[in-house]
Amino acid sequence: MSSLKDLFNPSGIAVVGASKDPTKIGHLVLRNIVEYGFKGRVYPVNPTATEILGLKSYPAVSTISDKVDVIVVSVPNVKVLDVIDDAGKAGVKHAVVITSGFKEIGNVELENELVQRARKYGMRVLGPNIFGYVYTPVRLNATFGPRDVIPGNVAFITQSGALGIALMGSTIQEGIGISAIVSVGNKADIDDADLLEFFDEDPNTSVVLIYMEGVNNGRRFVEVASKISMRKPVIVIKSGRTEAGARAAASHTGSLAGNILIYETAFRQSGVLSVKSVEEAFDFVKTLSWNPVPTGDRVVVITNGGGAGVQASDTLADDGIFLEKPPQDFVEELRKVLPPFASLANPVDLTGMAPEDWYYMSVKLALQNPQIDAILVLYCHTALTSPIGVAKAVARAIEETKISKPISVAMIGGPDAYEAMRYLTTLRIPAYPTPERAAHALAALLKYRKGREYLVKRISKKQ
Amino acid sequence: MVSPSQIIERARSEGRRKLLEHEAFMLCELYNMPVASYGLATSEEEAVRIAERIGFPVVLKVVSPDISHKTDVGGVILNVKSPEEVVRSYRLILDNVRSRAPGSRVSGILVQKMASPDLEVIVGSVRDKVFGPVIMFGLGGVFVEVLKDVSFRVTPLTEQDVDDMIREIKGYKVLEGYRGFPPRDIEALKRVILGLAKMVSELDELEEVDLNPIFLYPLEKGALIVDARVILGEK
Repeated sequence: MSSLKDLFNPSGIAVVGASKDPTKIGHLVLRNIVEYGFKGRVYPVNPTATEILGLKSYPAVSTISDKVDVIVVSVPNVKVLDVIDDAGKAGVKHAVVITSGFKEIGNVELENELVQRARKYGMRVLGPNIFGYVYTPVRLNATFGPRDVIPGNVAFITQSGALGIALMGSTIQEGIGISAIVSVGNKADIDDADLLEFFDEDPNTSVVLIYMEGVNNGRRFVEVASKISMRKPVIVIKSGRTEAGARAAASHTGSLAGNILIYETAFRQSGVLSVKSVEEAFDFVKTLSWNPVPTGDRVVVITNGGGAGVQASDTLADDGIFLEKPPQDFVEELRKVLPPFASLANPVDLTGMAPEDWYYMSVKLALQNPQIDAILVLYCHTALTSPIGVAKAVARAIEETKISKPISVAMIGGPDAYEAMRYLTTLRIPAYPTPERAAHALAALLKYRKGREYLVKRISKKQ
Repeated sequence: MVSPSQIIERARSEGRRKLLEHEAFMLCELYNMPVASYGLATSEEEAVRIAERIGFPVVLKVVSPDISHKTDVGGVILNVKSPEEVVRSYRLILDNVRSRAPGSRVSGILVQKMASPDLEVIVGSVRDKVFGPVIMFGLGGVFVEVLKDVSFRVTPLTEQDVDDMIREIKGYKVLEGYRGFPPRDIEALKRVILGLAKMVSELDELEEVDLNPIFLYPLEKGALIVDARVILGEK
């Protein structure tokens, strides 16, 4: 079996079922590939056309003289096997089968035949029943989803089609930078574990997000997920959380071992971060992809409102992170620059009248203090201050110190606070509209760090 | 001694998916898990001999492929203290079974050392179709049945997993000892969990296992598996 390297770095890619009709998937995929600016060669394949979107069209993959590494297949299901045969004989090693009408509608035989046929040629299959895939380092967007995916370091694997495409759009809206998006659909051949192995080695990926309905081989998933989690965080949204344990059991153990419970157990043992919602997943992705992993879990909270500070502290405590007194030298430095009525405990309460400068100074001091591992900044929009001013002050502190330390910001308030949050997001500083979300997302980063230490311990005690 | 595969083959050849109690105990012993001493008697005389060998008091239990709730049919008699009582109990069990579960096949009567009751824990396993064997641990009785205070791990288990799954249950404090209740022999418990994990990893045919109850004694006093239920997968 070939590795997935050529799937993500193809020198030549053919779209089989490319069409001039702008409503056809074969057209949309080709257009995305062309317009997103793929760096390799692109070949439309269509039995009758001579030219599509300004590119020379070929009647079959086997008639293309240059090397084709990947075919993206969007033809009716009954024609897929012929395409595999033609491309397989031509030496193509990866088929991305967008076509649906396989196992998902009970057509198990056709799907098995697809895999066997591909295997005969040493060809790997992504799909079928997918919306395609993206790999931004080579400007490849072979999907019929949104075009302008933001390049970045997050890989997103999705088993859901429609939700997956929608979330692809959400990453653009949320300013999340993507290395890869992979629609896995029926997972007839390439599965989560194969992809995790690739992303583990991929220097362009530092966080993996998975939307998962289920895996086929749980033990392999645990093994591979444990390995990558020691280097890169993996976040999983597992669908079907409320599915009752429908197991027909003859034992106590069997009756208690519900499906989701076992998945949760396996995720924990693999160091995978399991989340309940799309919102939580995206929140985590921001703190995990835009921050370094800290070396400890001493958090300092800086706020201008006592209430926000309490909400954040409670959220952190729920996540197993308890605030300690801030380091003495930090407090002394703060005392020099802040007025006497500021509370120099943890949270540091700058009070409601705090101008931008106080934020700037306290964030800067927290960044510079080696006894502080992570910073949570909370801002409540008050009449006296401007959210964008505070956001800029936080950004300036980071910019000037050039210290990379985990940080998470809450911009709480109306439209101006929202704008300030968006501003921070464009600078890849994780910012949220509530203290709880900012705190919970920061906690995810600390939880990942602990999970990684646990994994090292766990693996070293293997029987 | 027989091998695990012989035990499984025998059950298969008789069309059984549930191992008989003494077979389940044999399997446990083959994986170095502590079981209260026992023997299977097919006559009154044999029952007496076994009881005298392992020492009184003993428990007598009916062994039948057709009876899953032995107590309900009067198939269990506890705290049997003398050879005469063994004979009497042996007969009583057979009478009970004949009247309350007529037509049930009886493979014999299990004579087992009466383990002194202590803190009950449960260790079990179920084979998940995605993750393979999964191991469960919990405190026994009401803790597992009503409160569902149990922890799970997928295999292969590491020692870290075993440590964690023991500490993870809400009732962990009970194992550590509190208010005059002595701390428990957690090392013995770990050996049972690891033994079961090894057993279900090596024997693909095992579908579900309950070791329930296990008496867990104070520090350095060990543990004893009192009842074991082993279900084979469908062929």
